[in-house]
Amino acid sequence: MTITTGEVGVSSVPEDAAGKGLKVGALGMISSLVIGVASTAPAYSLAATLGFVAVYVGVSSPAVMLLAFAPMLFIAAAYYYLNRADPDCGTTFTWVTRAIGPKTGWMAGWGILVTDLVVMPNLASIAGVYTFHLFGAHGIANNSSGFWVTFVGVVWIVVMTAICYIGIELSARTQVGLLGAEIIILFLFAVIALARVYSGGIAHSIHPSFQWLNPFKIHPVGALSAGMLLAVFIYWGWDTAVTVNEEAKDSRRTPGRAALWSTLVLLAIYVIVSIAAQSFHGVGFMTNSNNVGDVLNALGTAVLGSPWNKLLIIAVLTSASASTQTTILPAARSSLSMAVHKALPKRFADIHPKYLSPGFSTILFGAVSVVWYVALTLISPDDVLANSILALGFGIAFYYGLTGFACVFYYRRHIFKGFKNFVFIGLAPFLGAVMLTVLFVIAIFYYSDPVNSNSGSQAWFPFIHFNFTFLHQHFYVKKGLGPPLVLGVGLLLIGLPIMLIWRIRHPAFFQRDREVAETVDSPAPPLTPGVIPVTD
Amino acid sequence: MAGNIVLGYDGSDGSKAALAVAVTVARAFDAPLSIVFGYEPNPMGGETADYKSKLERIGDEMIGAAVAGAKALDPAVVVESLVVPLRPVESLLEAALEREARVIVVGGTGERPLVGAILGSVPHKLLYRSPVPVLVVPAGEE
Repeated sequence: MTITTGEVGVSSVPEDAAGKGLKVGALGMISSLVIGVASTAPAYSLAATLGFVAVYVGVSSPAVMLLAFAPMLFIAAAYYYLNRADPDCGTTFTWVTRAIGPKTGWMAGWGILVTDLVVMPNLASIAGVYTFHLFGAHGIANNSSGFWVTFVGVVWIVVMTAICYIGIELSARTQVGLLGAEIIILFLFAVIALARVYSGGIAHSIHPSFQWLNPFKIHPVGALSAGMLLAVFIYWGWDTAVTVNEEAKDSRRTPGRAALWSTLVLLAIYVIVSIAAQSFHGVGFMTNSNNVGDVLNALGTAVLGSPWNKLLIIAVLTSASASTQTTILPAARSSLSMAVHKALPKRFADIHPKYLSPGFSTILFGAVSVVWYVALTLISPDDVLANSILALGFGIAFYYGLTGFACVFYYRRHIFKGFKNFVFIGLAPFLGAVMLTVLFVIAIFYYSDPVNSNSGSQAWFPFIHFNFTFLHQHFYVKKGLGPPLVLGVGLLLIGLPIMLIWRIRHPAFFQRDREVAETVDSPAPPLTPGVIPVTD
Repeated sequence: MAGNIVLGYDGSDGSKAALAVAVTVARAFDAPLSIVFGYEPNPMGGETADYKSKLERIGDEMIGAAVAGAKALDPAVVVESLVVPLRPVESLLEAALEREARVIVVGGTGERPLVGAILGSVPHKLLYRSPVPVLVVPAGEE
């Protein structure tokens, strides 16, 4: 807030916002928690991954859900401390730029954009599939790459982009209500499933076993890392809880706590629901080709029966809509941040004069998402859901991993000052980053055998019989490239030449120096665009 | 400072019309005029920092133009500019409370009631929530 009294003139000093009278920053711990959990979208995440995790690791899904929590919790420490240093940040892009350098920072920003793009086809398909299930059109819903599901998926992206562009927001109370309903429905589903399993008479049901939580039961290690990469995705999004900085009452502390709490809430949901899901009809039910893509619908129908299964479908849809918004908004803001710091063309920072949204970035992201979604449906029919979700783990591991390393780098002078520092600023972020890197590398080898990814056969578009089965036979088998690898790692790699070209043409951003934390507690000086020498 | 005239300004035609009326009202009551621009990115999605500073700059420019406009209409009027990091309605209510405002002046949205209903219209919300009188000025009023 800026106040000028009496005379004409506008100061542009924002720092004293809270001190000058008008109250700002009303968003506390609960709201941050809600934002973190809603962004992670538990119902949608389960709908998208539960079946596929079981494909790779069988009854060990709950163990994978637990294991994937470890690197995410460790990276949460990195978010927490980087956020304390840099509360008015653009997250990973600015942090990595600050700590490791502009080239790596640019790639981290690219990683965010690519990861956001990769998830869009999955979100759109899930939205399409569950919309048709909601209205009982199961035949249409079962063809997840069919014309009608794709059509609804495209409409979904367009509507969500418009909502972000115009800036329509639900009230805080509505958000709490929707999220509360989502969590209660998931827990009810789990409790009812388990109660019915224990009362007997359910076909192929199995009683939960502690061995399901034992990660050493998972073989081979490639399957474990594939499952882990999938499960990492289900925790993706809670980082939003630490980036709602300035809204929090104490912006340097509350958001980090909200992120930690939201992770714990999510952990409970994921482990309990995955245990209940596989108990009910066994793993075979979840992994058969009819159910693997929309496992929550199949199980919801079996466990809850009609019409109560609609509750679960609605929970998945509200969850997917929150998740779509929390994909488009940060994607647009990331590209805005990059443009503000001259790492992308200026237009990406354009603000719509009336709606005050990052107009150009938002529309472009929506448009690219639609093109990408339709292209993927044409190229890889029948396995859009599978391959997009498998590919996603690479992007997440990439930029979360970088965030972990950035924390260690940035605080390197303080890591050995005390035990607490060592554990939370050094060890945890480092371990998290190393785990994600190892997952990334193992998964590359694992997916490089196309046998380990889903491959499609039929294209709904009659003139294009161009599909991954064809590609496998002619290219991938020899060169060893599965679709998730091409999508996940390929898109990240495309960033490299783009970055180098941008660096040659617009060197300003890349002349930035690395920084190191002076203290652990005090905020770092803002990473202002003005610091960079402007040469373009 | 008390008894201010609080004006919501967003650069729209309605708000320009409201500016002219607000200056007249301020003059009539011999009260200071507080011109308010409110902005708040949806906290969903995070990564608001650079976005916020960009919005703040837009707000500064917009209010700068409004202050100049007010001075051009009446050089004697006492003007205060407020760029508030809250949603428009909240920022107006906050400013009204803080300045013990006599009246809040805003521009009308014109003949698009359905759009207002869907997107949420600032004057509409103010009419329900404001503790002080609200003056809604139709666009085109000079």
